[in-house]
Amino acid sequence: MYFFLQIALSGIATGAIYGLIAVGYSLTFLTTRVLNFALGMWVMVGGMLTFSLVVQYGINPVLSLAAVLLAMTAMGVAAERVSVFPFLRAGSDVWVMSTLAVGFLFIDFAEIIWGRSPNPVPGLFGSQPVRFGALSVLPQQIAILITAAVVFVALDLFFHRTLLGKAFRAVAHSDQVSTLMGVNVRRIQAGSFAVACGLAGLAGFMVVPLTLAEPQMGTVLGLKAFAIAIIAGLAAPRGILLCGLGYGALEGLISGYLFTGIRDILGFSLMIVVLCFKPEGLFGRPQEERA
Amino acid sequence: MTRARVGAGLLVLVVLIAVPAVASGTYYTYLGMIVFIYGIVAIGLNILAGYAGQLSLGHAALMAVGAYTTALLSKAVAHVPLFAATGIHIWLGVVAGTAAAALFGALLAIPALRVKGPYLAMVTIAFGWVIFKVLQEWSSVTGGDLGISGIPKPRIASMTLGTNQFYYVVLAIFLAALVAQYRLVNSEFGLRLRAMKYSEIGIASVGVNVYRAKVAVFTLSAAFAGLGGTLFAHQQNYISPDNFQFFSSVFFLLAVLFGGAGTQLGPLIGAAVLTLLPEMLHDIDTYRLIVYGVFILITLYLLPNGVMGALERRAPQPARDRPNTDRIPLAPRWIAQGGGASFDVRNISRSFGGLQALRNVSFHVARGSVHALIGPNGAGKTTLINILTSFYQPDSGEVAMDGAVLKLASFSDAARNGIARTFQTVKLFGDLTVLEHVMTGFAPHSHAGILSALIGGRRIRAEAKRFVEEARELIRFVGLEGFEDSSASQLAYGHRRLVEIARALAVRPRVLLLDEPAAGLVAREIEALAGVIRRLREYGMTILLVEHHMDLIVSVSDRITVLDYGEVIAEGSPAAIQQDPRVISAYLGKSLAAA
Repeated sequence: MYFFLQIALSGIATGAIYGLIAVGYSLTFLTTRVLNFALGMWVMVGGMLTFSLVVQYGINPVLSLAAVLLAMTAMGVAAERVSVFPFLRAGSDVWVMSTLAVGFLFIDFAEIIWGRSPNPVPGLFGSQPVRFGALSVLPQQIAILITAAVVFVALDLFFHRTLLGKAFRAVAHSDQVSTLMGVNVRRIQAGSFAVACGLAGLAGFMVVPLTLAEPQMGTVLGLKAFAIAIIAGLAAPRGILLCGLGYGALEGLISGYLFTGIRDILGFSLMIVVLCFKPEGLFGRPQEERA
Repeated sequence: MTRARVGAGLLVLVVLIAVPAVASGTYYTYLGMIVFIYGIVAIGLNILAGYAGQLSLGHAALMAVGAYTTALLSKAVAHVPLFAATGIHIWLGVVAGTAAAALFGALLAIPALRVKGPYLAMVTIAFGWVIFKVLQEWSSVTGGDLGISGIPKPRIASMTLGTNQFYYVVLAIFLAALVAQYRLVNSEFGLRLRAMKYSEIGIASVGVNVYRAKVAVFTLSAAFAGLGGTLFAHQQNYISPDNFQFFSSVFFLLAVLFGGAGTQLGPLIGAAVLTLLPEMLHDIDTYRLIVYGVFILITLYLLPNGVMGALERRAPQPARDRPNTDRIPLAPRWIAQGGGASFDVRNISRSFGGLQALRNVSFHVARGSVHALIGPNGAGKTTLINILTSFYQPDSGEVAMDGAVLKLASFSDAARNGIARTFQTVKLFGDLTVLEHVMTGFAPHSHAGILSALIGGRRIRAEAKRFVEEARELIRFVGLEGFEDSSASQLAYGHRRLVEIARALAVRPRVLLLDEPAAGLVAREIEALAGVIRRLREYGMTILLVEHHMDLIVSVSDRITVLDYGEVIAEGSPAAIQQDPRVISAYLGKSLAAA
């Protein structure tokens, strides 16, 4: 039983990371129907920057976090302008390829800058496990859970309580009507992409002390986050955190009781099963097409 | 096809055939083989992504299914004397691998195609990852990371095919794949695919089951990928999971986009360039991803339609003169064959969230009559049309034709039950010609599917020929004669509405629903439209007309039903409706009516 709770608990912390990434897909889906196909690579860049700032330059973690968020969001604005907007305007789907291309550039440049080998990054709050009875948790895992909770509550308040957040939801509903209502749709489209990149950076910052910082770390993270976004429903940000936590716990249990190799196979298969029975996701509402 | 193009094609063919003779057994012959193998996979992806508009980033995994199937099968039975003597097992493996990939494709497509376009691409990535992981982890069968070696070399009887001979075999299969692509795209099924890419709702309205068509084309596309995989396995004699990574899937989609998605020769150009490019860049292999990333971006910026798309770009044909819509010719005889049906709307209710769009709506449309449905904006007219044509499901109530209740469960059911429609905002198929638009409408009566497109046959050819004749008659009937080969996107707005009517008539409906057909038309065009409606009525068609244009309604309708706030408030002859105080107040407001 302790074993069960222990691995489920560490799984939940990893799941919170997935949730942070996955909500990025939801943000851009809601405003432009665009997905950043290389979101995992953005997580990697965030992680590598964290390694450089915290380990190589020894900069204070809080300052490092601010720098990572700023850099990732700025790069997100630039990437949207270059790899999404031209094709979105032309009504073409090829941003699938252009966002991937940006990710490919990231991987190779990361290998040139940081090399291929994995780099350890120390936890922000030390590596001494905190004990709750027989269970032990790393301080970093607690930090991740708190961060995810804060981010999701903040996003929820932003969307439902602020005027700008309501503008986001208006664009999600109809960009044409929003334009007529005086919403700067262009800025919101670019903004949602940039925020998604910023959250990916945050996820990278939080995850590297648990894993290791290396240029190949992003691909699978990005895919898992996508699977979670589909399982929860791309249009249901609240469900995404819940599904992320659940997915993380399930993954921990699969690794613990079965074997690690089968973990991703089962996880992605779960996504395909959900698509079969509830294509709008567990928390999504079915949408009727308008004729 | 012009003589120059035939000449160019023959020249390319001669060069391809000459490669082994000039560069016998060399690396170049080997590269040529790889180009054709990748080309076969790219053709499959071109049919899916280029023509049907469904992106896949999992084709390398489907290729792996083909490759591993033939590798395992042909190795397992190699010692059977019959096979050892004849080498048949290798070709059986090729067939089995192709079939296995098709099966996997179908199993993936059934859930994955519930999401659209780009999201489909993401799901296929996950599928590719699952296959890759299974190949790595299930090492007792797949050999894990080490893969499978000693895959039998291609053989015919006791003759092992060397590089030169296998080159010709692969070339022949590649050419067959090109022919298959050509036949498919130019078939009725291919026409539906191309139409679907532009408007899924439009093609569903003529009775095409969009989901089923997508699953079929995905399955076929997977078969091409599997075929390429089997040839790859026997050519290399050794395969491992590394051959089928996610990056290879990206490579195939890039090949299709670079060559020209939705062009016949695009996959060959794409596969050739993307096979030869890395050869030229041998020294900077460490920067492979940077090279490809930049290459993708440059391709998307500078060649949005690919190489072949840029070469083939047709100059837009200016419309020669105005269509002759003044005189309405006789309708083709077969329009009247089915005869109109009577039509009953019974107690239909539908709400959206808190909004009650329709409340207990009932009315009867007599056989062979023109029945108008009017009401202020927001009265629920289009919602009702959408329910009658199975786009929405009602909360309660039913629809009956000639007294029999219809089952309208999915988008395509209405047309299959003899109900055709036009749309308030036209749903046409981009650059398809007027003739092609009308041809799609015969879908409910066509026997042509994906298999007949590939195999052909006299019956299917005769049927297609008859449909072309009938489509021309319909185009003449709506007054668009002479515009058969113009692309519908270049027609004037009013004429595009006529194309929609002709497409709906091709369904041979027993009830025709026209949703605001006069919106945006000038007076002359409305007159022509009225002529078409009257002529159809003479032939016994039942027409339900949703319209705001009162002159048109009064001049063509037998009976009018008035909706307001989702309820029927009046019904009667045009003269009676014009006098009805409830109708006047609904349109003009109460205080004014009282005054």
